[in-house]
Amino acid sequence: MIRFENVTMVYDQKSRLGSENARPGLDDVTIEIDRGDFAFLVGASGSGKSTFLRLILREIVATGGSVHVAGQNVARIPSWRVPKLRRGIGVVFQDFRLLPQKNVFENVAFAMQVVGESRSAIRDHVPQVLKLVGLEGKEKRQPDELSGGEQQRVAIARAIANKPQILLADEPTGNLDPATSVGIMNVLDRINQNGTTVLMATHDDGIVNSMRRRVVELSLGKIMRDEVAGEYTSMIPVINQDGTRELRQANHGTWQKPPAGSQAFAPFDTEDDMP
Amino acid sequence: MKLGFILGEVGTGLRRNLSMVVSVVLVTFISLTFVGTAALMQMQITQMKGYWYDKVQVAIYLCGEHNESSNCTEGAVTEGQRGEIESMLGSSAVKPYVDNFEYESKEQALAHFQEQFENSSMSETVTAEQLPESFRVSLVDPEKYQIIKELFSSTDGVDVVVDQRELLEKIFSIINIASFVAIGIAGVMILCAVLLVGTTIRLSAYLRRRETGIMRLVGASKSSLQLPFVLEGIIAALVGALLASGVLWAAVRFLVDEKLAIEYKDTAFISTGEVLIVAPWLILLGVVLAGVSSLVTLRRYLKV
Repeated sequence: MIRFENVTMVYDQKSRLGSENARPGLDDVTIEIDRGDFAFLVGASGSGKSTFLRLILREIVATGGSVHVAGQNVARIPSWRVPKLRRGIGVVFQDFRLLPQKNVFENVAFAMQVVGESRSAIRDHVPQVLKLVGLEGKEKRQPDELSGGEQQRVAIARAIANKPQILLADEPTGNLDPATSVGIMNVLDRINQNGTTVLMATHDDGIVNSMRRRVVELSLGKIMRDEVAGEYTSMIPVINQDGTRELRQANHGTWQKPPAGSQAFAPFDTEDDMP
Repeated sequence: MKLGFILGEVGTGLRRNLSMVVSVVLVTFISLTFVGTAALMQMQITQMKGYWYDKVQVAIYLCGEHNESSNCTEGAVTEGQRGEIESMLGSSAVKPYVDNFEYESKEQALAHFQEQFENSSMSETVTAEQLPESFRVSLVDPEKYQIIKELFSSTDGVDVVVDQRELLEKIFSIINIASFVAIGIAGVMILCAVLLVGTTIRLSAYLRRRETGIMRLVGASKSSLQLPFVLEGIIAALVGALLASGVLWAAVRFLVDEKLAIEYKDTAFISTGEVLIVAPWLILLGVVLAGVSSLVTLRRYLKV
């Protein structure tokens, strides 16, 4: 479903950061995520998780290697076909990104309207999706009347409204309390059981540890481990170059405070793209 | 992408960005009014040329009692001189250039004068003696006026040869200058309009970045992302163009048709019919300018 072959992504130092620091992005990453997989993408901020997701969506194009999504090399897709690629991929964010002036039903319907679905198809399908995410009877609510967990459910409903084969989630529980997060994970799990490939970038160790799904850990743009039913922190000892053995921790020692004024940019953030 | 959905988006955009949209409407309105004015002035010139060039003649004024021209040193023109000029006009050297000619006596000149200035007090004080007698010559080709002038200027008994077209050309050059000024102002205003449409679309895209961000992610095509914005610009420009057309129509209707044309009955004026020819072009110009400038802006500020 998703295949990375020796993918390297080097950001242009000048345009993004305005400093001499070359951002790592991704460094020679090769990985395959099969249809129907549920995989966690873990790693410190700046380890390349967002770059990974952006490459799948073809928001950016790899500087080296190739990214295949649903059998297509995304770099070879002409720009006018990119929307078609994105219709096959749903995306959920930490900050929900709902349209505040539209109610729950309209927010979900928006995704279908945008791709030209008929009114009757929207009328039929939206309630089903809302039921799947557990929001029956809340169609008429405005986003600001909903709790964080409910808002994220709306966002998930919107992401899967067009029946994508892949669902990307970028820290979907990052703004939610643990109990609510479990509810969201149950929704994602249900979606995965319906056959959708789910790839979730997260810092939430409780969730990763309890779900026992595939875990891919990135550090400074490289894949550090890839476990079938892993935990947030690796149990496999790592042999360092000097021969010492230690339990490597996902968040240990890799996180660096970004230099002032050059904050690691928010993933998919279109909010700041405009001048 | 359904039409209804796109129009809904356009409506949202126009509402949220109302003050900018109003300014686009006004700037387009003013600039297209100037463009239209210039076009109508040019049409007026064409109209007058067609009307007058058939009627204007070369006037060969003959010497009167008190003329000081070098040909008139011997006082008023004599019978013999007049006959000679008449036979010259009929001679084979001149005939090919002359369509027809007629003699206008002092009395006839007075009659014409009184007709022309019937509302003026001048017509009562002027007497036939004060007006020159003349030959009125219509040329086959009015541009060949110089030949007649050269032939008759030095003939005895001729005071002066006047091409009446010269008088008209003065009027035309004034109208021409006015229409160039209008074109100049229109040019600056159109530049303003184009820049303003660009800024407005940019602001509109910024105000709706949340929507467009989501639209991108769920796979909106380029056209469905951009069309609402382009339509926004085009609708604003269209309203401006319609206002400009309306104002031009009203100006011609109430100032030209109902005033100038009544006061100066013997002049051909443009009428609202000409406005109806100009208006579609103004609308097209407005729509094309707005469409192009919004597309160019979106290429830069609304990536797919």
